[in-house]
Amino acid sequence: MTQLNNGITLFFSLLVEAMPFLLLGVMFSSVLLLFVDEQKLLAVIPKNVVLAALAGSLIGFLFPVCECGNIPVARRLLTKGAPTAVAIGFLLAAPTVNPVVFWATWIAFRDQPEIVFLRVGFTLIVAVTIALIFSAQADVRPFLQENLTRMMGPEPVAAAPAEAEISPLLRSGTFLMQSPGQVLQLDAPPAQVLAQVAVATPPMVTRLRMMVDNMVLELRELGAVLVIGSAIAAFVQVAVPREVILGLGQGPVTSIVAMMALAWVVSICSTVDSFFALSFASTFTSGSLLAFLVFGPMIDLKNISLLLTVFKGRAILYLFVLAAQLVFLLALVMNLYTS
Amino acid sequence: MTSTPSSNGLRAARRRSLPWQALVDAAMLLLWGLMLLRFTVTGKLYLLLHPDYMWLAHLAMVLLLAMGVSRLIQVWLSYRQGTGQTIRSQEHTALLPRQFSVALLIAIAVFGLVYTPRPFASETAFQRGITDVLGQTRSRPQRFSLGGASEERTIVDWVRTLNVYPEPDAYAGQVAQVSGFVTHIPNWPDEFVMISRFVLTCCAADAYPVGLPVELPPGTARPDPDTWLEVKGEMQTSTLDGKRQLAIGDPTLTEIPEPRTPYEY
Repeated sequence: MTQLNNGITLFFSLLVEAMPFLLLGVMFSSVLLLFVDEQKLLAVIPKNVVLAALAGSLIGFLFPVCECGNIPVARRLLTKGAPTAVAIGFLLAAPTVNPVVFWATWIAFRDQPEIVFLRVGFTLIVAVTIALIFSAQADVRPFLQENLTRMMGPEPVAAAPAEAEISPLLRSGTFLMQSPGQVLQLDAPPAQVLAQVAVATPPMVTRLRMMVDNMVLELRELGAVLVIGSAIAAFVQVAVPREVILGLGQGPVTSIVAMMALAWVVSICSTVDSFFALSFASTFTSGSLLAFLVFGPMIDLKNISLLLTVFKGRAILYLFVLAAQLVFLLALVMNLYTS
Repeated sequence: MTSTPSSNGLRAARRRSLPWQALVDAAMLLLWGLMLLRFTVTGKLYLLLHPDYMWLAHLAMVLLLAMGVSRLIQVWLSYRQGTGQTIRSQEHTALLPRQFSVALLIAIAVFGLVYTPRPFASETAFQRGITDVLGQTRSRPQRFSLGGASEERTIVDWVRTLNVYPEPDAYAGQVAQVSGFVTHIPNWPDEFVMISRFVLTCCAADAYPVGLPVELPPGTARPDPDTWLEVKGEMQTSTLDGKRQLAIGDPTLTEIPEPRTPYEY
């Protein structure tokens, strides 16, 4: 009974803590959807794939969201036709490389500024590396969920998705077949034709309303996923005694593994995880703390369910394995050569 | 962006039917806002979050309630105008079926409205490793002002002070006055209990226990675990589990109700 109560308290604690960030995330995501011109955004991103990955990793500085909030933004970037390197770089780095998290980590580890800077540095190294590996695949679509690829359309520029709701076959008029799934109604009013050809810019009021609509929509879906993820995280925390995880050892290798496992299980938001790590700072190696701070925001138990809204299981497995290996290596180098 | 079908029949049929989807969304948003409002008003938010992060929960509460109300207004306006225009959505990216998501979120909000969270207690403290707690907290000496009288220190202040200077003899004779709940530690003699608190760094998910051993006066019955006590006594050095430890000796024990903010920060 105590365990059940603890589990439920943990569950609500995670929800209450994550919900504001989820709200912020869907808000930024909706702003990006309606107020940012994807053409301009894509135009300023360098064509060079390494620079693009780096640029994607640094977009987090414009969108201070944690890992529960960055997935809707990454999803949006993909539908806006962002290159794979940019989207993956953003997905992995944005929860850590952003002003809010930097500030929080700085407050927590003021005495050890190297933790703050190495956290950002390691995250950038891992994010750019994985982004480059993923962009080796010319077409990222096989890795993505089908409902997302459908929105991305056949071209990098997203097709107007609302069109899909009414089949063109049910309308009368003269149509011009365009790329599959898209038709252009030639005898429609000129403005409508133009709207289908050019990027539509509805008036401000409409855009604001659409922004709220989109927030509700994303909140509904991602909120439900967050509920499931938090429930699992709370269950594992209650069911697995902490000593089992912590007792794995103090060695340079086992401490990293233990902290990475803890990061994965606890699923704590990147905005506040540095305070959590602080409570282990006296018992764990610096490398393992960094592993916690770098790996946790990338992939954890809670955001795997959120990642499933973007990627197929196989891609998440690749992301997980690559991130885990790279973080482990970097943390091990840190443990062996700097302490 | 969307061209609605201009069939008159369809429009007429829509005119008087309520946009249920939008209403359910509004209910979901309002219920979540109300759940956060309830946690705030009843003070139960203190059981879930560190006070530093509460403004975020409050912000979320305001946003959720505002979104819910604006959605209701939107529904009402379009219903009154009889436009029958349902809320448009940009896309449907459903990993989970929409009805399932909404039902789950509403169910959790309703559960949150009736369930009262309870603070962690001794069993959890023991499970989370209260025994090695003195090593687990990281002290930031410049952040604590311990200049005051020793009886003003809380449990976590004592533990942090011990982390800076662990020699128990250094504190011998100082007066300690702390409050917390009772935890029984196996292997300890019967006259010893741990007076403990949970420390929160951001939310209940990372609560970790800290505690100080208390040597009960001879002939005192051992208080039950989870009893909230105020303990006033003198610091002494005791050997427990083969380890020299700072303990509160010769204490006066006063039972107190569970505080509104049972955690320390």
